[in-house]
Amino acid sequence: MLFNSFQFLLFFPIVTIIYFLLPYKLRWVHLLVASCIFYMAFVPIYILILLATIIIDYIAGIMIENAEGRRRRAFLILSLVANIGVLVIFKYYNFFAININTLADASKAGFSIPLLKILLPIGLSFHTFQAMSYTLEVYRDNQKAERHFGIYALYVMFYPQLVAGPIERPQNLLDQFHAKHDFSYDNCRDGIRLMIWGFFKKIVIADRLAIIVNNVYNDPRHFNGVALTIATLFFAFQVYCDFSGYTDIARGAAKTMGYDLMLNFNRPFASKSVTEIWRRWHISLSTWFFDYLFNPLVASLRKWGRWAIVFGLLFTFFLSGLWHGANWKYIIWGSVYGVALVYEFLTKNFRKKIFSVLPPTVNKTISIFLTFSFFVLASVFFRGKSVKDALYIFAHLFKGWKSVCSVSGIKSVITAIGGNDTVYGSFNVVIGFLLIAFLEIIQFRTKDTSPENIVRNSSSIVKWSYYYFLIIAIFVIGAYDNQEFIYFQF
Amino acid sequence: METQEILTQMNSILSKVLRKKDIEVSVTTTASDVDGWDSLSHMIIIDSIEKHFGVKFKLNDIMRFNNMGDIVSNIQGKLSN
Repeated sequence: MLFNSFQFLLFFPIVTIIYFLLPYKLRWVHLLVASCIFYMAFVPIYILILLATIIIDYIAGIMIENAEGRRRRAFLILSLVANIGVLVIFKYYNFFAININTLADASKAGFSIPLLKILLPIGLSFHTFQAMSYTLEVYRDNQKAERHFGIYALYVMFYPQLVAGPIERPQNLLDQFHAKHDFSYDNCRDGIRLMIWGFFKKIVIADRLAIIVNNVYNDPRHFNGVALTIATLFFAFQVYCDFSGYTDIARGAAKTMGYDLMLNFNRPFASKSVTEIWRRWHISLSTWFFDYLFNPLVASLRKWGRWAIVFGLLFTFFLSGLWHGANWKYIIWGSVYGVALVYEFLTKNFRKKIFSVLPPTVNKTISIFLTFSFFVLASVFFRGKSVKDALYIFAHLFKGWKSVCSVSGIKSVITAIGGNDTVYGSFNVVIGFLLIAFLEIIQFRTKDTSPENIVRNSSSIVKWSYYYFLIIAIFVIGAYDNQEFIYFQF
Repeated sequence: METQEILTQMNSILSKVLRKKDIEVSVTTTASDVDGWDSLSHMIIIDSIEKHFGVKFKLNDIMRFNNMGDIVSNIQGKLSN
């Protein structure tokens, strides 16, 4: 079920109201059934995959806790193999098969691996990672194995974060399912505020920007550098609003019932380095990779000194790219980040010395600008339909800029962007830039507090005017062609 | 070795690795309390501590270190054997 669908508009209040009407002991059953309904709105039969991994991880958790030494390790490996196995079969098998077949073709080896005709289960990478987090934390003695099967199943399936995160940790979430959550007006208010802000970011900003982005990126060869640049810039904000909007709705929906999900985005465009981006962007995934892959890997190789970190970064970000999708464009996208982090790590002291001659404000401004530019440019690989398209876009980003020197030139760019419709193109470009400006002003003003709370201390008139504005904007300037969330495909 | 003595030596290790003067840690100090001690420099610091005290931590122990006190008691355990 999509958050931005009519079904969810009914589903959310019904589930939340019934949750509080039911006696405490039955609430986990209700949430589990609701989560199954939410998941089965996509491909119902795939619930069996979830069930299988839930059973394996539930048993593995208890066995890890009870076992010692090698047996303990064996049960952890069983759980990891089960989860990664499901990921490999459903997400990566065809990608590997296609690449092996291409190599076999090129070398005339005379064989080919058959491809599977399967749909990718929705949110697979998210819930398998959350499940692995559980067995890994039990193995590390940071979490007690969950004895209640229903509660464990709910930990994996909790509907707000089931299909696109945040990828929770058992230490944060499991205990919350055991706690009694009484109805709280404050939680409901805060949750709904967060959801409205999330819907605004998704339906009004992301889906509006997507119109231009899709037009240009579906056929980049028909556009000059100006159009490619506008579309690429718009995509950076689209993907941020799309994914962080999803997270806000997820966190808000959970909050109304008294559950606190972790922060997943913290103003990533305010980052002063590429390293900092990953402390602010998709935090639940980056911390997962750092805690369960990067740190153990670098710890085992620590005799290599700095080179252990270099290798760890390249490998981690290569896999992070692969996590996003079974496609070379994602692998390149992730690897580009790996290289950038290595560069920042190796030149940290040198850059500090060079930039220390600049006044702090200038230093900060330049750092934010360069970091944001890197994010925008790297996202060409993320959004481009293929590596070939992405390379074409890079080669043509700076071509055709003379067109902005004349009114007719600007008009032709706008017309092309709008799909041969000047009015539609102008409307979407102007609204797009205004929405980006609005988003940035709100985020700049709220700094590290939550943007949805910008009017929290204002008078009632300002407060309600602001929320009415957001809600009206969702209905009036929201783009409604039921766009899926970008991260659903992962 | 006494806890305070280990902590004093930790100060000089951290100052050397992080190239910062006046670092003072206690048993409750965590990585986030020390400027520059981030996820990237963490293992370099661990490696330097091992070399300095002539000990070798187990991978599982490293993953469980939550604060300086955990590292100090692990070192004390290893040195007393």
